[in-house]
Amino acid sequence: MNCEEAAKLMDGYLDGELDLITSQTIEQHLLECPKCDQAYKIHGSLVRAIGNATPYYKAPAELRERIQSSLRDEIADLPTRNVARDTQPLFARREPRPRAILWETSWNWLALAAAIIFAAIIAFTLVPRLQRPGADQFLATQLIASHVRSLMANHLTDVASSDQHTVKPWLDVKLDFAPPVVDLSSEGFPLIGGRLDYLDNRPVAALVYQRRKHFINLFVWPAGPGAEKAMNTISRQGYHLLHWLDSEFNYWAVSDISEKELQEFQQLFEQQIASH
Amino acid sequence: MATANSQTESDSGNSMLGAGGKAPELRPVIKQDVASFEEALLPHLDAAHNLARWLLRNEQDAQDVVQEAYLRAFKSFSGFHGSNGRAWLLTIVRNTSYTFLKKNQAVDFTTFDEEIHVAADEFASPATILEHGEDAELIREAMDALPAEFREILALRHQEGLSYKEIAEIAQIPPGTVMSRLARARGKLKEYLAARIGKEK
Repeated sequence: MNCEEAAKLMDGYLDGELDLITSQTIEQHLLECPKCDQAYKIHGSLVRAIGNATPYYKAPAELRERIQSSLRDEIADLPTRNVARDTQPLFARREPRPRAILWETSWNWLALAAAIIFAAIIAFTLVPRLQRPGADQFLATQLIASHVRSLMANHLTDVASSDQHTVKPWLDVKLDFAPPVVDLSSEGFPLIGGRLDYLDNRPVAALVYQRRKHFINLFVWPAGPGAEKAMNTISRQGYHLLHWLDSEFNYWAVSDISEKELQEFQQLFEQQIASH
Repeated sequence: MATANSQTESDSGNSMLGAGGKAPELRPVIKQDVASFEEALLPHLDAAHNLARWLLRNEQDAQDVVQEAYLRAFKSFSGFHGSNGRAWLLTIVRNTSYTFLKKNQAVDFTTFDEEIHVAADEFASPATILEHGEDAELIREAMDALPAEFREILALRHQEGLSYKEIAEIAQIPPGTVMSRLARARGKLKEYLAARIGKEK
């Protein structure tokens, strides 16, 4: 890769939108080219500054009310039109026994309502199950890419410290949530530091732990509403991913240590948080 | 006898003011439409408002446009079968915003060619810009000074946190263009900052 190509791909790289191979090629180039490295750093700060400094204009409460009442007005106009136009043929075709018609039509609406409810139940129970594996696989790719990148680009930590009281405040001011940080040195998983990352379309905390010569990236971000306690593992490309949720956070641990050790790490982590 | 009567009743009902006996049967279903529409799209009200506010640069106009966009969305809601309600709504907000800007001749469209402008001068970015990186007011001003398509793409990326794919869908551009447009938007913002900071000194 030459400098011109690196410059062209800069925004895609900083936004985490490039594929793993291209990202790695860029990182290799940045190691060799101080000029581009500097340019990436400066541009990266600008990109972060735009995100941090520009206001998000939330909708005022009255706008919601305005919209809701305009929707009410909209449907208030509808029934008359519908009755005049759409239902006439239906009415004329039927044999003229008003009570029977009333009964029949309302029964139809009931059937329709039942069908809608049925469809909704199917959609709610089935669709998430169908979608989740795909979404998880995609996220897994992102997580592994992030883990690999952190190891190869000499950018394992933004804040290098084994002291949880240094790492936690550092992350707290950078993020819009306060991730739990615990040190597990005495259990054989020393805390190395913390880092900011961007996953699943949001900034996340990456806590870095060491196990012998191996590293564990623990990605943490707030769990969405309605999250249930869950745990699952994915193994890909020689990496193990362990996902779990507690009432507040989503955790993804990524490492090349064995699945068993990763589970041990997870248990220790949970215990430590609980005792804090 | 009764048969004949009811026939005339229903006939007159249809041709006149909306048939008292009929309307109550239709209303529940339409109400249900509104409920499912609101459930699907009102959660994205902040996103809609934020995009409109950045595009129109005016609170009152933004609110009018968002309200209009929601009505438009409601009317075509039955045609929406996708899974990404936010992207669908934002597309409508965007189009409504541009219609508004055009009508008020406030469009600041600028023509761009894709090839140039990923230029070497971007390397020579002054470090002083970074010292102002935390100056929220200055950065907001800089973003406001950009053409609409740049404000739009920066808002979608930096505030909505959307992926390139979603941005392409909303801004109706090829996915390959998203990166270069973002690069130009940020480059312009940088130029603006450099000029402003330079002037102050």
